[in-house]
Amino acid sequence: MAQVFDLVLSAVLLAGLYAMMAYGLGLIYGVLRVVNLAHGGVIMCGAYLGWVLHERLGLDPYLALPLVMAVTFGFGVFLYRVLVCHLPRGAAGGPASLLLLFGVWLVLRNAAYLLFTANDQVIRTSYSTHSLPFFGTFLSVNRLAVLGLALVIPLALQLFLSRTYLGKAIRAVAQNADSCTLVGVDVERVYAITFGLGTALAGAAGLLSATLFSFNPAFGAGELLKSFVVVVLGGLGSVLGTSVAALILALVEVFAILVLPSYLTSAVGFVMLVLVLVLRPGGLFGRPVLG
Amino acid sequence: MLRFLLLRGRARDAFRLTVLLACWVAVACRSQPGVVAERTEIHIGATLPLTGAEAKVGGFFKEGYELAVEEANHGGGLEVGGKRLKVKLSLLDDTTNQATAVSLADRLINSEKVDFLLGTYSTALVQAQSTVAEQNHVPYVNGGGAATDIYRRNYRYLFGLLAPVEVLGSTLMQWIDEQQQAGKIPKPARIALVWENTAHGKDFRLGVSQFAAKSGAYSLVVDEPFELNGKDFGALLGKVKAAGADLFLADAHLPDYITMHRQYVSAGLCHKLVSYGARGSEQGAIEALGKENVAHILSAVWWNAALAGKDGPARHFVDAFKTRYGRVPEWFQALGYESARALFRAIELAGSADREAVRNQLAKLELPSILPGGTLTFPAESGQQARYPFVVQQNMPDGTSPIIFPRDVANGTGIAPNPRCPN
Repeated sequence: MAQVFDLVLSAVLLAGLYAMMAYGLGLIYGVLRVVNLAHGGVIMCGAYLGWVLHERLGLDPYLALPLVMAVTFGFGVFLYRVLVCHLPRGAAGGPASLLLLFGVWLVLRNAAYLLFTANDQVIRTSYSTHSLPFFGTFLSVNRLAVLGLALVIPLALQLFLSRTYLGKAIRAVAQNADSCTLVGVDVERVYAITFGLGTALAGAAGLLSATLFSFNPAFGAGELLKSFVVVVLGGLGSVLGTSVAALILALVEVFAILVLPSYLTSAVGFVMLVLVLVLRPGGLFGRPVLG
Repeated sequence: MLRFLLLRGRARDAFRLTVLLACWVAVACRSQPGVVAERTEIHIGATLPLTGAEAKVGGFFKEGYELAVEEANHGGGLEVGGKRLKVKLSLLDDTTNQATAVSLADRLINSEKVDFLLGTYSTALVQAQSTVAEQNHVPYVNGGGAATDIYRRNYRYLFGLLAPVEVLGSTLMQWIDEQQQAGKIPKPARIALVWENTAHGKDFRLGVSQFAAKSGAYSLVVDEPFELNGKDFGALLGKVKAAGADLFLADAHLPDYITMHRQYVSAGLCHKLVSYGARGSEQGAIEALGKENVAHILSAVWWNAALAGKDGPARHFVDAFKTRYGRVPEWFQALGYESARALFRAIELAGSADREAVRNQLAKLELPSILPGGTLTFPAESGQQARYPFVVQQNMPDGTSPIIFPRDVANGTGIAPNPRCPN
């Protein structure tokens, strides 16, 4: 029983990280219908930004979070204005956007190799290995912080989308961009801001990951795949679905260790991805991914 | 033909033919034995993971190679057949990638025409790269591949300086067994054994599990492989925790050691004895994890600077390394240095750069060595993989890592059980 309790806690903490990684990918697809393959690259950039701010300026990674999000937001808006806005919308832009954003990822990765070399880096703070006692077990302070942010961010996002004019505009554009144009909504501006928000969330996820793991310029590939599994499972475009799917994925991966060797548990997520695409292409809570 | 062309008034063709003949004569003359340019250097090729997951260790091996080459050239070069030949090292970055390591080895042999190869680092890379050397009949001396799988293939041109990881596991267990005999850890002791899912990890598992089975005083309550370069070990460590083990023994490469141990500490785990195999005392890990979090970790390594006595090759190496780099070498640099030194000695003994002659000298080499045991050989019965005892060291709270086993070379006393654990 104690082991099950430990595994549940471990899964909940892991789910926080998975959800953080997936929100940005889900938001961009939900509004722009663009699968942002540069997501992994932005996660890596977020990790390096946090590392640079910590190593060079001594800034705590959690205090650096707004700064990292602001920089990655700006990068996202720039990326949209310079590249993504030229893509055709909807299904027609699918292959083109995949190739373009994959190219952006490669550029980011190679720039990081040039700037930082391929050496592994870690962000070590005074509380990196601290933990809090909890019913006979211990919870990592860093993981708790990540979980907390993973709960706060979707709530804030939901409030932003439902209570503000800009948020309502984003939702309206996601439903019908042409009608929005007719009633005077600046659709291009909404798209740019949404892309910026999505990349800012990816940057935040990168920074938070860097407080837990070592990273190098190749970082982000595995994270992109996990994000993809989460958003497909939750249904692309659903914030609530993303959170629940992250929890499901983490639970399945963590409990798989009871029946599978440890090195096979990460494959379980990809088996789930295939099953969901075949059996329930709309995911658990969202609109269909395929077709 | 020339006269025929001239007679027919085709002077341009006659000129071309003359130039071609002249070129042919020039090339033919160059290839005559009497006019061969004298060899002035021994060209050695090597690749190392200077970027990628093993970049840190690759850099350490580079330091060892460069020091050995510098020393060889300092006295005018290697003495080969009565002449002094400088050593030229062509060192490339294999980016911790098997395919790159293989293609670069091929390039070194067939394009850059190196005479011999020094090996890369990590079992997977050495395993792949040594096949290229074998196919081309190029002696390949490495200090970076320890798994016995590499040497079970009985390659003729492959020579390894790392003693088998299996011996690492059993040496570690010998010290643990002494502590058990002294009543410092429970009898029987419950072991949580986790190992990377590679040939390296499997050898470690074999060493520990065979010792445990033979002794009968240990039970493996967790025996679990994990993914190399893993990101999350939470579930695995949950299993370790649930098993209620006395000892936590892992075999991991440096990045996995850092990630796993950070989670281990955060999860509030504490075992009477903890080891990550050959990992534990690296400066990079101490910086990433903090001195306080790596205290009392055991590691069994191929070499330690404390092995250097007042004189002899180990003393010479440590002093030379300190002079060049301003710090004390770790086992990585020592193995890099000694690999190069073994190859150089074999070349000198062969008296030529003939690959077959050098290979034969390596096969029967008995080199006074910096490694434990003092003599380096490549026994044919173990696939030309060197065999010598490991040294067990333990991280102390003051940041030092003295040798605690075997007793004859120990410069410190091991602490068991871990005093940081509540009971």
